[in-house]
Amino acid sequence: MQETGLLHPPLIALRNGRFIPVSGWKRILACAELSFSPIPVLITEEMDNLKTFLMAFYENLATREFSLLEKAEILARLKRFGEDEKRIIRHYMPLLDIPATLSYLDTYLAFSQFEPEVKKAIHEKNMSFLSVKPLVGFSCRERERLLPLLLPLGQNKRKELLEDILEVSRKNDTPVQKILLSPEIQTIQDSGTLTPLQKADSTRLLLRKKRYPAYSSRQDSFESLLREIDWPDEIAISPSPFFEEEDFTVRFTFNSEEQLKAGLLKLEELSARRDFSKIFKLK
Amino acid sequence: MLKLRFIPRKIFIDKECHSMPLTKRVLKNLSQVPTETVSDLQRFLDERRISRDAIRQGKKDLFITSQKGEFIKPCPCTPRYVGCNYFIINLDLNCPLDCTYCILQHYLYDPMLIVHANHEDLWKQLDAFIDKNKGRALRIGTGELGDSLVLDHITENSKDLISYFRGKSPVLFELKTKTVNIQNILETESASNIVISWSLNSPRIARSEEANAPAVEERIDAARRAADKGFFVGFHFDPLIRYPGCEVEYESLIARLFNRISPGKIAWISLGSLRFPPSLKPIIQERFPRTKIIYEEMVKGLDGKLRYFRPSRLDLYKRIIRCIKENGGEKVPLYLCMESDTIWREALGWVPKGKESLESYLSFPLGNSKV
Repeated sequence: MQETGLLHPPLIALRNGRFIPVSGWKRILACAELSFSPIPVLITEEMDNLKTFLMAFYENLATREFSLLEKAEILARLKRFGEDEKRIIRHYMPLLDIPATLSYLDTYLAFSQFEPEVKKAIHEKNMSFLSVKPLVGFSCRERERLLPLLLPLGQNKRKELLEDILEVSRKNDTPVQKILLSPEIQTIQDSGTLTPLQKADSTRLLLRKKRYPAYSSRQDSFESLLREIDWPDEIAISPSPFFEEEDFTVRFTFNSEEQLKAGLLKLEELSARRDFSKIFKLK
Repeated sequence: MLKLRFIPRKIFIDKECHSMPLTKRVLKNLSQVPTETVSDLQRFLDERRISRDAIRQGKKDLFITSQKGEFIKPCPCTPRYVGCNYFIINLDLNCPLDCTYCILQHYLYDPMLIVHANHEDLWKQLDAFIDKNKGRALRIGTGELGDSLVLDHITENSKDLISYFRGKSPVLFELKTKTVNIQNILETESASNIVISWSLNSPRIARSEEANAPAVEERIDAARRAADKGFFVGFHFDPLIRYPGCEVEYESLIARLFNRISPGKIAWISLGSLRFPPSLKPIIQERFPRTKIIYEEMVKGLDGKLRYFRPSRLDLYKRIIRCIKENGGEKVPLYLCMESDTIWREALGWVPKGKESLESYLSFPLGNSKV
């Protein structure tokens, strides 16, 4: 703009004797920063809030992609300005690349109600719909407490932690706050040696064990057995996913006949050990 | 109200079905219920899909239309688990009972209680299907995408179906229900290849998760009356739901069941533990926020569905099977629904090999069970 000047005047509406930017507020800010004054503007005489909002919506829709929270705000405003719910679903949600269902509308409307700090974190971390969605199930105070735990984690682990804590809470009728304040989690959080990522990850693993106690215990026994029999790192062994079948899978790599023979020999030695048979009791 | 007899709020009629005999029968049986003719089917269904709590609303109205595709389909079972080679007739779709765990919430696209009126097509398709599978002890039923009897006072389908299948032995026809809506059954002559079966659960689960269905004791009482009328009866302990103390309550239920029903009148008993695709969980959470059944320890099975951790469900199956046998059900054919080879072997001591194996095993009512 410094080189070309303001090419497209912002759109302004008049409300209660004051000028309100309808679209082009970033251009207005840039003009202020560049000390452009006065600047040309287009003034709409439209007094209907919905119609005025649609001017800004369509202009932006044509020129850029909306973020998750912008989409949420657009849907919230359409509703607030009196647009029919069915028309929002059928007409506007496909324009925003959102599946045209009531359930998605409700979820996005819930996003629009999030606290400013939560919105800031979602925006800065560029969180996806799927990792933000579980936040809807929490109260604002719970979200506030969860935020420091969520920020260091990646999308999948963030979603896992949220789902696990919510489900542990619902299963045991224990408030989320109480779970977060439990001695085990507090010990992790108060640690002076763990990094924020390590604290978040340790809490996630602790919650996973609370959510899946039998499976976690079986997995722990399996791993402990491998340590006990000194299972070599170069040969991977894994049970059927979630121990759903009785099978185990063994995998190792080789690039010569010697390596293949060495791997097979090692397996034979391992399977000959008496304590190896314990693995089949874990089936 | 529903525990007695379901009456829809309104009847919508596909304009092409007005003159069909079943439509006339439904209108005669529901003469007080308002009706509306649907001329633009697509628009009508689209409107219904985008409404708040479309699933619950859809269970209140009846829609009479015609089945455009095949009525008879193999039960889809689930990938990588043992199938029981069952065939389903998609006659009525959806169910007003609205149990918390019901897969129909996720499975059915149209939120409507649908009654298919083109029965002429059904009989033709059934004739061709049975002819193609001549000699096989096929098991066919209507209770897969809806309760077989919940609308029976409206459609009277049971009378037509029993009349059709009578004499079609070795084909076994099953009506599967949670209701006590058996008036038409009791007025119909029994046949050895017709099985009326009930889904049973512990009274606690029936109260909390099957709140619109009759109490378990009433279901057993209805089964007793059907058995007294001469029908074979079946029982489906499905879905078995885990909670602290569930084993004792299931055992007590089985003892009461065998106290009321002679084992010789039981065609089969199936067991299946709670399982559902992960995408059903948010639907249950939203529609039934008070239920806790989805928060038990469930892991992804081979088919991607959530199910109880294998050792937990195996323990439950073993206890129930032992209890059935101890209560006089040693000879009652038992099978597992959507379970793995491992569970079959550990719980029942055998694994069906090939589709004919289970068919033969379950043809007990005809007296030619081989296992």
